[in-house]
Amino acid sequence: MSPNSREILAVSELPPEGAKLSRIWDWCVVAAVALLFMGAIHLHVMLTVGDWDMFIDWKDRQFWVLVTPVSMLMIPAALQAVFWHYFRLPIGMTLGAVLLLIATWITRYVGWHLWGYFPFTMGVPATMIAGALACDAILLIVRSSLLTSTFGGFVFALLFYPSNWASLAPYFIPIEHQGMVASVADMIGYVFPRSGTPEYIRMIERGTLRTYEGTTVWISSFFAGVICIFMHMLWWRIGLAFSTQRFVDSSKRFKKFVGLA
Amino acid sequence: MAAIVRAWKLVLSMIVLGALAAEALPVFAHGERAQEPYLRTRTAHWYDVTWSADKLSVNQEIVVTGKFRLYSDWPDAVQLPETVFVSNATPGPVFARVDSYLNGVPARQSFRDLEVGRDYEYKMVLRARIPGRYHVHPMIAIKGSGPLVGPGRWINVGGTADDFNYSLTAISGEKIDDLETWGVSAALTWHSIWLVIAAAWILWWVRRPLLIPRYLALKKEREDLLTTDTDIKLGIVVLVVAVGLAFYGYNWAQSKYPRTVPLQAGTMYTPPLPVQSPVVKIRFQEAKYDVPGRSMRMVMDVTNISDKPLRLGEFATASIRFVNHQLPAAKANVAANYPAELVARNGLGISDDSEIKPGETKQIAIDATDAAWEIERLTSFLTDVDSKVGGLLFFFDPEGRRHIAEVGGPILPVFKKS
Ligand SMILES: [Cu+2]
Repeated sequence: MSPNSREILAVSELPPEGAKLSRIWDWCVVAAVALLFMGAIHLHVMLTVGDWDMFIDWKDRQFWVLVTPVSMLMIPAALQAVFWHYFRLPIGMTLGAVLLLIATWITRYVGWHLWGYFPFTMGVPATMIAGALACDAILLIVRSSLLTSTFGGFVFALLFYPSNWASLAPYFIPIEHQGMVASVADMIGYVFPRSGTPEYIRMIERGTLRTYEGTTVWISSFFAGVICIFMHMLWWRIGLAFSTQRFVDSSKRFKKFVGLA
Repeated sequence: MAAIVRAWKLVLSMIVLGALAAEALPVFAHGERAQEPYLRTRTAHWYDVTWSADKLSVNQEIVVTGKFRLYSDWPDAVQLPETVFVSNATPGPVFARVDSYLNGVPARQSFRDLEVGRDYEYKMVLRARIPGRYHVHPMIAIKGSGPLVGPGRWINVGGTADDFNYSLTAISGEKIDDLETWGVSAALTWHSIWLVIAAAWILWWVRRPLLIPRYLALKKEREDLLTTDTDIKLGIVVLVVAVGLAFYGYNWAQSKYPRTVPLQAGTMYTPPLPVQSPVVKIRFQEAKYDVPGRSMRMVMDVTNISDKPLRLGEFATASIRFVNHQLPAAKANVAANYPAELVARNGLGISDDSEIKPGETKQIAIDATDAAWEIERLTSFLTDVDSKVGGLLFFFDPEGRRHIAEVGGPILPVFKKS
């Protein structure tokens, strides 16, 4: 144990058995938090990002880049608030990002590959780990929720696209099929049919943003960054609100009703 | 203990029996039957459907072709076919799609502005991927309404799934040797790198006294102990690594794949098939569905406006074909290997099957009786908000040429045997 750890234990005034028990408690919490938030974040992202991050042929330069980081930030930001506010642990976002990526690959393998026969290429997911690490590090350095929202939230969204492009670029090389250009991602969506997901429900670069030739993705990333600043503020507060306990005195009438007065 | 074992045996045997019973049914229940009758009798009428094989092994291809008529009395509850995707209904991607066409136009993207009252012709080439026995249907999906499924045929796929291969060469020259795995190991490698860095960061913190001691120390305003100078230095390193690695990865991918294209979207257009010049005028009179008799009776006035005598050969609705057994041309129009469960055994009853002379108007009543009404769950039109029925009539001239006409109107239930 490092001198710093010893000092923390000394300051906490936990007796040796108490320190030991608290360590066991830590592991219980870790296990519970890991499973609970693995499920919660995964469900949340499935519902709010949905197809944009499920399918390779949905990852467009406009909406995917916008919707995914904004939604992925929410619950991790709340976790970050809780871990920082009560324990000064700058790990909440990273933890959320790690849990989501693990959960996503589990469902891609079990649900999609084993059960639904889809190849892995159909469902290569995005990860927010880069942005989450940066946001946690910024929190540790600036030690302020406002500044973390401002810089951390922005950087979180900004790193989303470049950090995922490394694993997604091979799906965007051009193919010729039936005399038309298609990306490999389009081909994957075409070759492995999803009978309940017709092609037209994809939302691919609609609106005027696409007219910024080639830079769509960065404009979208900046816009996502701005939204993420406010999302971070909101979800930081939601995290704190949901981890606050208040004891409210029962009314006299209630006490009387249950026979206590 | 023994009781638990017994209970388990019971549960297991029930599962096995249930599975056997389900397997033993002549046609396994399918999604296509869940669709309401007004969807299936008044939207797309599928005809001339062919499947090039009923047995193939992994990597072999099957061609599904056919036509559909978009019924004129299109139900209000269904969006007009303004955006349509031509597809196939199978249980998951057990077949890989190689090519698909609508009126000869590549159907990799959706089509816009299909016209009701008109016919379209499709073709799809599917490559067997996962061994098994599957019901393969042509299908169109309509934006705002969802899929409309055509007739299905059982196809047996043999071989092993591992043999499946779908390779491509990119325009930029890259060889994609397997579309099922292309890029996956690279993605997993990148994800692993990020996971390792993130895990190291989390471990850095959780290896130290964690929740309760830190909470207590914070209460005692000893924040200085909780995040040390070393921690902050490491935080700066992590920030630099996160930003640096993200952009390094981006540049690495850009130089490895310098030529990329965005996802391709947008719709295609094709005019419908040319209209056959009409040979009959149909005036619908009435339709009744006899619930206990599983029989639909429809009365109509048919006027022959062509210069050749005509006979009614077939009434087709919801992918069930009621064929006039007395007319050889109509029987010949049903391919020998067409799914038998979709051709009514009793055929089509016609009140007056004699030729309709040129210029003649004749009232005829047709009788379409088959258990298929029940099996295909078409009787639920009694519970529809829009109790109408529709179908196609196939007339044949003496040369055996086929002429298609639409018929349909309100339908009344009859609950007592008449
Ligand atoms: Cu089927």
